[in-house]
Amino acid sequence: MSRHTILVVDDEPQIRRAVHNALAGDSARIVDAATGKDALTAAASERADLVVLDLGLPDMPGIDVCRELRGWSEAPILVLSARHTDDEKVALLDAGADDYMTKPFSVVELQARVRALLRRSKASDAQPQIRSGALVIDLVGRTASVRGQLVHLTPIEWELLRTLATNAGRTLTHRQIFAKVWQGRAAGDAQQYLRVHVAHLRRKIEEDPVRPRHIITEPGVGYRFASAEQA
Amino acid sequence: MTPPPIRWRALLFWLGALAAVTAVMLAVRGHLDQAHVTLVLLLVVLGASAVGGRTVGIATAIASFLVFNWFFLPPYYTFVIANPLDWLVLVAFLITGLVAAQLLYRAQEEARIARERSVEVDRLATLGAETLSVGSAEASLAAVTAVIRDTIGAAKCEVHLRGAQHSALVDWVLSTGNAAAQQQDGTVHLHAARPTAAELRALETGVVLALLLPLQAREKIVGVLRVESPEGLRLDPARWRFLDAISYYAALAVERSQLVADAERAEALRETNRLKDALLASVSHDLRTPLTTIKALAHDLSVLGDERSEIIEAEADRLNRTVADLLDLSRLNAGALQVRAEVNSVDDLLGALVQRVEGSVGPHRLVVSLPPDAPLLLGRFDLVHSLRILANLVENAAKYSPPDTPIEVSVARHNGQLAVSVADRGPGVVPGEEDRIFEAFYRASTVPDTGGAGLGLSIARRLAEIQDGSLDYHPRAGGGSVFTLRLPAMDDTVLTKP
Repeated sequence: MSRHTILVVDDEPQIRRAVHNALAGDSARIVDAATGKDALTAAASERADLVVLDLGLPDMPGIDVCRELRGWSEAPILVLSARHTDDEKVALLDAGADDYMTKPFSVVELQARVRALLRRSKASDAQPQIRSGALVIDLVGRTASVRGQLVHLTPIEWELLRTLATNAGRTLTHRQIFAKVWQGRAAGDAQQYLRVHVAHLRRKIEEDPVRPRHIITEPGVGYRFASAEQA
Repeated sequence: MTPPPIRWRALLFWLGALAAVTAVMLAVRGHLDQAHVTLVLLLVVLGASAVGGRTVGIATAIASFLVFNWFFLPPYYTFVIANPLDWLVLVAFLITGLVAAQLLYRAQEEARIARERSVEVDRLATLGAETLSVGSAEASLAAVTAVIRDTIGAAKCEVHLRGAQHSALVDWVLSTGNAAAQQQDGTVHLHAARPTAAELRALETGVVLALLLPLQAREKIVGVLRVESPEGLRLDPARWRFLDAISYYAALAVERSQLVADAERAEALRETNRLKDALLASVSHDLRTPLTTIKALAHDLSVLGDERSEIIEAEADRLNRTVADLLDLSRLNAGALQVRAEVNSVDDLLGALVQRVEGSVGPHRLVVSLPPDAPLLLGRFDLVHSLRILANLVENAAKYSPPDTPIEVSVARHNGQLAVSVADRGPGVVPGEEDRIFEAFYRASTVPDTGGAGLGLSIARRLAEIQDGSLDYHPRAGGGSVFTLRLPAMDDTVLTKP
């Protein structure tokens, strides 16, 4: 198994060290950067497979670093920030970040999310089937089943499930999900329907709708499809 | 109107011209016909009218008539007329001369009036452009009032705006939108924004000391224009026209100054909010960064097997929650907390709650009852805020109730509201303190000092209220507390599925 290269960008050396320690190991090589410009240079020259990006950088706003990276790299970007406003999270996710964690974060959670993002980027997108626990999603046949039993989904619910599952591990904002699923077909303030549909979908595929294993709510931001190893 | 003064020099000149022409024609009288004489004399009369004005023209016409009779109508050197037909010539000549003088005069008058009007219009247009574009709003209003004062010839001109203290008459004009005039013998209240012709004539008979006109912009009365002159105002039609037109510009200047003030206030507010946000963000960053390091190092210790690391991590989390509470309290107090009340499902709320608190209830069992076959419950609320409230309630329950007792969360719908209840088997609240527990920093008397500032419930209640909901406590049958969060409910059927 080849080693991943993870780029860690934060202006505080203690945070860099903390993240470095959390993620270093046999399967990952860590590269540090303390400014936005250094990060962009390093991401290119070191060919980073994943970027952990702090937003409070001294030379440029994190959102600009994110956009520039996205301009030429497909590597997943996990954003860290000490500010917790949902607007900021949504803006970063819309600008191309794949996930967002607020400081202080739990190291265990950081490791889990990084694993999920790396796994996702490794897996080829042309998967015919996605499995998560008892849920099996057949992308070719366009069906979903729980423990072998076919689940009847409306077209919107299917599209919702497909969108989330094919982006497993990645937090999708309400706006991104809405754009992908409705594709401009609804008018007016239709985003509110999204949550209702997600609720209906959950009732069909989750064992316990109050303890969802597949579709995780990111409050104020959006939803994330968690694959079985990471709930 | 007073008659224009007689222009003696012009009169003398033209009479002199008449004399000169007469002398020339006398010399060749033998060769001239009456027609020649009348036409030449008429030319002189026309010249006198055109250049000298009506009076000179009329005087010259009469003088030419006399000259014609004396020098050129036989019998010469007398005013006697021999041939009766000569009367015709004479009278016709006189009439022509007078009419010509009068017509010329009228044409010149009209030209003069048109020029004056065009000057007025130009001045108004310039004034209009000036008031609306140049300088501060106050300066343009001052400029307009100065121009009015100078043009009307008043001693004082001022604009009264809404909101300040006024005399009773100004208030009357402001509220009714009618004009008013102050005369020497009393005040006259008019019936419209501008006086009618009859009212104007009536006004002119007295001495008008001050005139108050309402200023209207876009169908609203924005102020009152008051012009005053202790010697009495002269209100001729030209001045009225000017006053009428310029008062519109004055109204626009008033409106402009109000809009500028509004815009400045809005900008100041935006700037204050921006600074508040920047400050809170900075404080948040400075407080949370060290906590991140602490948690990360605690994790390192736990990997090495040191059990104390769990305590370090738990305390760091607690500190983080206190920081969050303080920052939110600041935002709430500053009115800077955003609320996004949207359609959300109870499933989402409870699911997120479980996700959030599962790790921190310790030895308690979290029981969340949502019967799987119950209909989907929807409400209009801010998911993040409501989640915060419920997490706070559950954490309180975990802190204050005995270990191994369950914490029960349930949902019901009553009367257009969703009621989410968090129930525990703790000591409950001392009767009488049920409302005080929601005060900031209040520490209930039954609770041992487990530490932590009592911010949670006060913030929780305010978060509930800004979502048009409520948070209440009531004691539980069999011992314990029930905290109920109420939020506006919504019907699934109301939302048409696309």
